[in-house]
Amino acid sequence: MHGWIGKILRVDLGTGKVSTEALKPELARDYIGARGLGTKYMYDEVDPTVDPLSPANKLIFASGPMTGTFAPSAGRYDVVTKGPLTGTIAASNSGGAWGPELKYAGYDMLILEGRAAKPVYLWIQDDKVEIRDASHLWGKDVPETTETLNAETAADAKIACIGPAGEAMSYIAAIMNDMQRAAGRTGVGAVMGSKNLKAVVVRGTGAVTVADKEAFLAAVAKASTMIKEHPVGGTGLRLYGTNVLVNILNSVGGLPTANFQDGHFETADKVGGETLAANQLQRPKGCFSCIISCGRATKVSNPKYKGEGEGPEYETAWGFGPDCRIDNLDAVVKANYYCNEYGLDTISMGGTVACAMELYHRGIITKEDTEGLDLDFGNADAMVEAVRLTGLGQGFGRKLALGSYRLASLYGHPELSMTVKKQEMPAYDPRAVQGIGLNYATNNRGGCHVRGYTISPEVLGVPFKVDKDSIEGKAELVALFQNLTAALDSTGSCLFTTFGIGAPEFAELMTALTGFAYSGDSFLAAGERVWNLERLWNLKAGLTAADDTLPPRLLNEPIVTGPSKGAVSRLPEMLPLYYGARGWDADGVPTREKLSALELA
Amino acid sequence: MSMMLMIHPDKCTGCRNCELACSMEHEGNFRPKASRVHVYTWEREGFSVPMMCQQCKDAACVTVCMPKAMHRNPENGQVELDADKCIGCKMCVQACPFGCASWDFLGSQILKCDTCDGAPSCAAICPTHALEWVEDTVSAQARKRSFAAKLKNAFAEV
Amino acid sequence: MKVSYFALLRDATKKRSEIRGRPASTVRDLLRDLAAEYGPNFARWILKDGELAGFAIILVNGQDVRGLQGLDTPLTPESDVFIFPPLAGG
Repeated sequence: MHGWIGKILRVDLGTGKVSTEALKPELARDYIGARGLGTKYMYDEVDPTVDPLSPANKLIFASGPMTGTFAPSAGRYDVVTKGPLTGTIAASNSGGAWGPELKYAGYDMLILEGRAAKPVYLWIQDDKVEIRDASHLWGKDVPETTETLNAETAADAKIACIGPAGEAMSYIAAIMNDMQRAAGRTGVGAVMGSKNLKAVVVRGTGAVTVADKEAFLAAVAKASTMIKEHPVGGTGLRLYGTNVLVNILNSVGGLPTANFQDGHFETADKVGGETLAANQLQRPKGCFSCIISCGRATKVSNPKYKGEGEGPEYETAWGFGPDCRIDNLDAVVKANYYCNEYGLDTISMGGTVACAMELYHRGIITKEDTEGLDLDFGNADAMVEAVRLTGLGQGFGRKLALGSYRLASLYGHPELSMTVKKQEMPAYDPRAVQGIGLNYATNNRGGCHVRGYTISPEVLGVPFKVDKDSIEGKAELVALFQNLTAALDSTGSCLFTTFGIGAPEFAELMTALTGFAYSGDSFLAAGERVWNLERLWNLKAGLTAADDTLPPRLLNEPIVTGPSKGAVSRLPEMLPLYYGARGWDADGVPTREKLSALELA
Repeated sequence: MSMMLMIHPDKCTGCRNCELACSMEHEGNFRPKASRVHVYTWEREGFSVPMMCQQCKDAACVTVCMPKAMHRNPENGQVELDADKCIGCKMCVQACPFGCASWDFLGSQILKCDTCDGAPSCAAICPTHALEWVEDTVSAQARKRSFAAKLKNAFAEV
Repeated sequence: MKVSYFALLRDATKKRSEIRGRPASTVRDLLRDLAAEYGPNFARWILKDGELAGFAIILVNGQDVRGLQGLDTPLTPESDVFIFPPLAGG
């Protein structure tokens, strides 16, 4: 095979059995890789009602066919499993250089089963696979774990690991690779912790091959040029990172503030990308094969929040900033560092602190509950300490580690959790931007922006401008963006490539790389197939149309200040249209006709 | 005057596109372990440096090469490897103080930058111009000027 | 009238925002003035052949002018104008 390696590595951590098997070419063609292929294997092998933290759940690390090539910004992999935070099928996507290394070692996917009796790590050097004792690493943070493992395996080995949060099975724990990159969402770090697996260390010496070299070089050159020359992809992301969005979202009144009580934050500029570039930014960073370089190598010299590392992204800056009514960027960056070091998802962590602040502000919880932490809106010190305690599983952090839905439910107020399917929503207010609310509500992994990023047309005007306040055409728009993203995630590409290229260019790259003929339409159809398969899994797991909703606040409480004052989400009007656009019945169940058209029935 | 590959670590993002382009150019596939350029990244600091053969004037690899496979091309000043003469003794690997000649055990070959015969693919693909193929005098002057500017700024602050 | 600048436009204008005394009856008038004042480093992100450059974002009182009357959107001395170069994130 070309693009794909054609081989899967399977390790049963319970018995220690290591085996390999061939990847079926037609499965690869139809589900592409990464998110799509991983989901197909989960669907075929794991009962969707499985307890996510039990040995019966599987944990799949899956690369895509473009991973490890120089297709622009395409070095990603997905962690596919049942997510403990959401109870849905989970695919958390990460950059860095780990995914490519798995392929150079000779595998498209790594499927982990069972549970090790004691802490272990996996050491993969091409054909040689060892399960090694990790008792000396248990309790260590991500940078220490990474450096220790590089010292005891190989200096150029790539490492994906969990920190203390994953070990303690926090529902918002991430898997970190290359020290700074996160497969963050849906609590995949907890699944790794539940398997007593501290790290997967990989070193590969092999190659990824190409079916039609000349055509692939031409397709890469074309796609790279389109991305570089596009006004939004070419320079802005490298200069300011994703956090350049703080000011635009605030300016249209779509920046959720104080746990989504409002959509506008007066001093938001203080935590924006321009401020970061002028102060904490050291230099831009790129993931493997990236031509965009939105990553931020940063440093805080303020002694109170001193540190260095990577971040923040826009959603992180928002979560620890405006959503907590905080405008101290040093504190925000420090909270980001703690998340990277202890292995936490920054979006869920930010949303959970914001929820706790509202509980505290309303007097639902007190200092007695927080063990002395004055966790009110605007208290930057308390926010940073809350993140540290969550990472280490200490004090009130043990409760924050549950995520906001379970936290707010403990105190009888689940409606104060700003989540969809129990996962914290990111930094775009569904009342101010109608399409993104429909995407949150229908997203197969709960509150998530990256699988149907309608902010691009609704706010940024890319590739075309649509009215953010209108619901017209939003059902079709959301479905289209969700399908395209499912397909491109499955290739190993970064979402940001879509600021320059679309389905026709992906089809060209895939055809030249793999030798299978893709068209723009068949590429999108693969995405639709993946989306529907995820939906089928979730329905079998027990989710229903009732879960396709937003917190009542967003449907009933208008935005208080700013340009979107008075707006609420019109989700109830859009949802039936969305089901229709998807070819699903009124209960959100894919029809037999739709499934057979997608070759899923 | 001749051309050289100028490295600007301050511009390097650690993306390793150079390794991929090098591997594709020489091997026809994507195998970074067979690349003649390697990027080293310090993740804590987020700092990356690409490393490849510097085409030394007094080149240790040439001195130690018994079959004279490693030699200087008088026309362009580059250190070149004649693969037909190479006996795979790996003395050049031992001798290079920069570690920029290496042995590829899969391909049974010495890996050393050949500047892609004067059109290095690594510099062509580098998205931030951290690698540049430039005239050696021009590049040195630019580097000198940029350092002088730093000195100027440092003095201006005191 | 208050005008705020973001991202690369802060480099071009060396300002975050300013109060402008000179009257401008439409967005077109305002942009023409700003382009003359701040030169090509400003204009190249915002205007192309006298029209709004693709993906530049101009908000008047929080409303995107592409949903209003484009460059002909009227301005008053009380208008709050935000000008963004093409940008992206996620």
